[in-house]
Amino acid sequence: MATYQEFIQQNEERDGVRFSWNVWPSSRLEATRMVVPLACLLTPLKGRPDLPPVQYEPVLCSRPTCKAVLNPLCQVDYRAKLWACNFCFQRNQFPPAYAGISEVNQPAELMPQFSTIEYVIQRGAPSPLIFLYVVDTCLEEDDLQALKESLQMSLSLLPPDALVGLITFGRMVQVHELSCEGISKSYVFRGTKDLTAKQIQDMLGLTKPAMPMQQARPAQPQEHPFVSSRFLQPVHKIDMNFTDLLGELQRDPWPVTQGKRPLRSTGVALSIAVGLLEGTFPNTGARIMLFTGGPPTQGPGMVVGDELKIPIRSWHDIEKDNTRFMKKATKHYEMLANRAAANGHCIDIYACALDQTGLLEMKCCTNLTGGYMVMGDSFNTSLFKQTFQRIFSKDFHGDFQMAFGAALEVKTSRELKIAGAIGPCVSLKVKGPCVSENELGIGGTSQWKICGLDPTSTLGVYFEVVNQHNAPIPQGGRGAIQFVTQYQHSSTQRRIRVTTIARNWADAQSQLRHIEAAFDQEAAAVLMARLGVFRAESEEGPDVLRWLDRQLIRLCQKFGQYNKEDPASFRLSDSFSLYPQFMFHLRRSPFLQVFNNSPDESSYYRHHFARQDLTQSLIMIQPVLYSYSFHGPPEPVLLDSSSILADRILLMDTFFQIVIYLGETIAQWRKAGYQDMPEYENFKHLLQAPLDDAQEILQVRFPMPRYINTEHGGSQARFLLSKVNPSQTHNNLYAWGQETGAPILTDDVSLQVFMDHLKKLAVSSAC
Amino acid sequence: MTRCHAGRAEVEMAELYVKPGNKERGWNDPPQFSYGLQIQAGGPKRTPLTKRVAAPQDGSPRVPTSETSPRHPPPLSKAPRPPTVGSCPVSSVELTTFPVIDSEALMEDVLRPLEQALEECRGHTIKQVCDDISRRLALLQEQWGGGKLSMPVKKRMVLLVQELSSHQWDAADDIHRSLMVDHVTEVSQWMVGVKRLIAEKKSLSSETEASEEKSAATAEENQTIPGFPQTP
Repeated sequence: MATYQEFIQQNEERDGVRFSWNVWPSSRLEATRMVVPLACLLTPLKGRPDLPPVQYEPVLCSRPTCKAVLNPLCQVDYRAKLWACNFCFQRNQFPPAYAGISEVNQPAELMPQFSTIEYVIQRGAPSPLIFLYVVDTCLEEDDLQALKESLQMSLSLLPPDALVGLITFGRMVQVHELSCEGISKSYVFRGTKDLTAKQIQDMLGLTKPAMPMQQARPAQPQEHPFVSSRFLQPVHKIDMNFTDLLGELQRDPWPVTQGKRPLRSTGVALSIAVGLLEGTFPNTGARIMLFTGGPPTQGPGMVVGDELKIPIRSWHDIEKDNTRFMKKATKHYEMLANRAAANGHCIDIYACALDQTGLLEMKCCTNLTGGYMVMGDSFNTSLFKQTFQRIFSKDFHGDFQMAFGAALEVKTSRELKIAGAIGPCVSLKVKGPCVSENELGIGGTSQWKICGLDPTSTLGVYFEVVNQHNAPIPQGGRGAIQFVTQYQHSSTQRRIRVTTIARNWADAQSQLRHIEAAFDQEAAAVLMARLGVFRAESEEGPDVLRWLDRQLIRLCQKFGQYNKEDPASFRLSDSFSLYPQFMFHLRRSPFLQVFNNSPDESSYYRHHFARQDLTQSLIMIQPVLYSYSFHGPPEPVLLDSSSILADRILLMDTFFQIVIYLGETIAQWRKAGYQDMPEYENFKHLLQAPLDDAQEILQVRFPMPRYINTEHGGSQARFLLSKVNPSQTHNNLYAWGQETGAPILTDDVSLQVFMDHLKKLAVSSAC
Repeated sequence: MTRCHAGRAEVEMAELYVKPGNKERGWNDPPQFSYGLQIQAGGPKRTPLTKRVAAPQDGSPRVPTSETSPRHPPPLSKAPRPPTVGSCPVSSVELTTFPVIDSEALMEDVLRPLEQALEECRGHTIKQVCDDISRRLALLQEQWGGGKLSMPVKKRMVLLVQELSSHQWDAADDIHRSLMVDHVTEVSQWMVGVKRLIAEKKSLSSETEASEEKSAATAEENQTIPGFPQTP
């Protein structure tokens, strides 16, 4: 077999999964001693340009409690046309359409290379894509103009038969009726009073759902198969009027006196948006896109009052329990998020303002529904404009990358149970025999709903080995997991993607080396980090750090090689070598440290951490640092102050920021203008190389990161200095004897000190 | 900037650019990529910059040193340039100077075919929509005539009209999208009329094709089974 690294990479590319362990400990007791749980990062819609979907439906196991999908791991009797389910061992008859199968004539789903396969479901009427814009008009003129233009532009990026709608809000909330005639009409609501879904639907005249319930046969194909309400119309019909309507939007006309914030009815506007879609298109993919330029200041969901002299809550206020509106507002948005999720609708928040906008209170709207959260300074920035454009990006087939209304179901073989999932999802509360009592993340179910997702949306799924110690698994036995994702493709088709994977069991006492070699430290770090961040949402920061430390020490005790009480003898094998430093950087990351971040920023960072794939998540935990010099090609270097050298240029990617840093000498050469002299052309190239590499990252990153171009001594160098390991500080500078690297003015613990303590604790018999 | 194809090279080149972000409104605002570059980004990727180095297990980092000092100049260009990690990426494009074009003549070249296309749609498309499109074409004429449109927009419009005239609906639509993304401030008011016109022309032509096919099919049917009576 290839190396484990190749195996892991192949599996990620083919199946979109990364497991913490790729050989599984065969008993419950041994599994708990592994410290890092058996878990995986699953990217349900991982891009597979080489995988054409099949145009038929999956064959299911006939046992009502199982219903697993036929897959390459099933035993097949070609003569008798029977297959045995690899999860429950039920013997099933093949359906009549499979009469012609044989060893040489297999359907795709039985071939080993189709461990991941996608089915297109032909039943049911196609559902339109729906986009409901909810637009704050309490913006500065410049910002509103930029936002209006971005929205007008989006009409050109949407599929022509997508339905669009518009709600605007300030002190009042307006629901705009869209028609082809030139008259614009809108319904105005007060922003102070919450309305029930029923009231909203009555007032808008939506007593009956416009969308007929799913029919057994597809409706007669028509040019415009979707019945739409007056508030949601196909782009191709109303694009001209909608463009005018957007163009004519004015700033909220209510006067704002000095010392006051504008009255912003975000809570009611969102409530009406959720109610409108609930009444017109339940259980159909839809996106509510909230564009806001400040905090909600009145009505249900208000986050701060309109008196400017009272600032919006800070971490300090939260710790002191000095937040008047936070709990009530959070409850309001949670209620809306849950209703939207129940209907399969997702909510995006695009918040552009210099101060906080209430993302802390509103975060559940995006986090529970799979919506996007974007935070910028102004709508008139490249950061917002391009991030917004990328929502509508297309894949290699020319289809939109966004998908809707997904339900993920997980099935396991008997030795395993499902402990939970962490990601942009809600529980579908489906209990079953394979659901564990012990919850990790969102547990107690084998199914989750993901209302909005794209090819990078990634869930952490956690398992529990339940096989008893005295019930050994036969030699060569394998455990299996099946992931079944039903979703609405952007082409309006319903599709089902099925991934079935298996891994070997090993006896942890006699085969620990096998298990150890198959450890995926990158996946493990991200999976543990997700658990930590999930805990941090409900627990105190220091408790989470202590928990993470404890896990790390136990892992080192289990897998380190050392003589008792001899820290100097401690060694970790290659498959664990990076893990402690991932944990070190995680402890310092904005996902667990709130110092220097506002509550909104913390919510924003955590939002992205809980939905990105492994590669991006790992960049967030431990930023990537590359060094450019005359001594050779660019090379990755330690994220350490010792890497900051005078004759190097550094490129750091933290996911949210791209930093280019010129060392002291380089900066002086640039100042002297060597790059403009023909004989120093290589210096010009050296300066250009990191810019080109940064551009490659900027071109694909979602959301657009901040871009920081700085040099030695520059004020913005702090972005680099705050991320590197402070191996040299003002405290130990003289101990180094020579002046290399850049001392960091910090009292933070360095990786070296951290490792020393870790080793001491790991080899200690007291632990 | 060398990555371009023959033919529409000049115009396409203008559409592959990076401009700086809005530093006044957003701190460290990233640069803005043109539509053309954003589309390219979906192409084959080079080696991503995701490698990491493991810290030595004894904890203390290796100590590399700087070998140069600012008092000395950088090494002379005898060594080959240090390569970037991946293939040569697109770098910022210097604005190409366009040959001076008589904009009056150009405006007619753009407007006349658009107006003609609109005439062809009348009868097929409802009057109100036609009037709406007409209103926007008038706006285009006004802005062009008033010197409010930039050269890249005019050049792209010429290209769009060429594609429209040769019935390349998707190509025309793509140019419209690139204009909306790259020059929304200039074009948003009237471009939606052009967009609609492309869509109407497309549906008109596919209907014509469909009815032609249908009549061809009926004719064929009549030939092959002459003995059977026609169903009403």
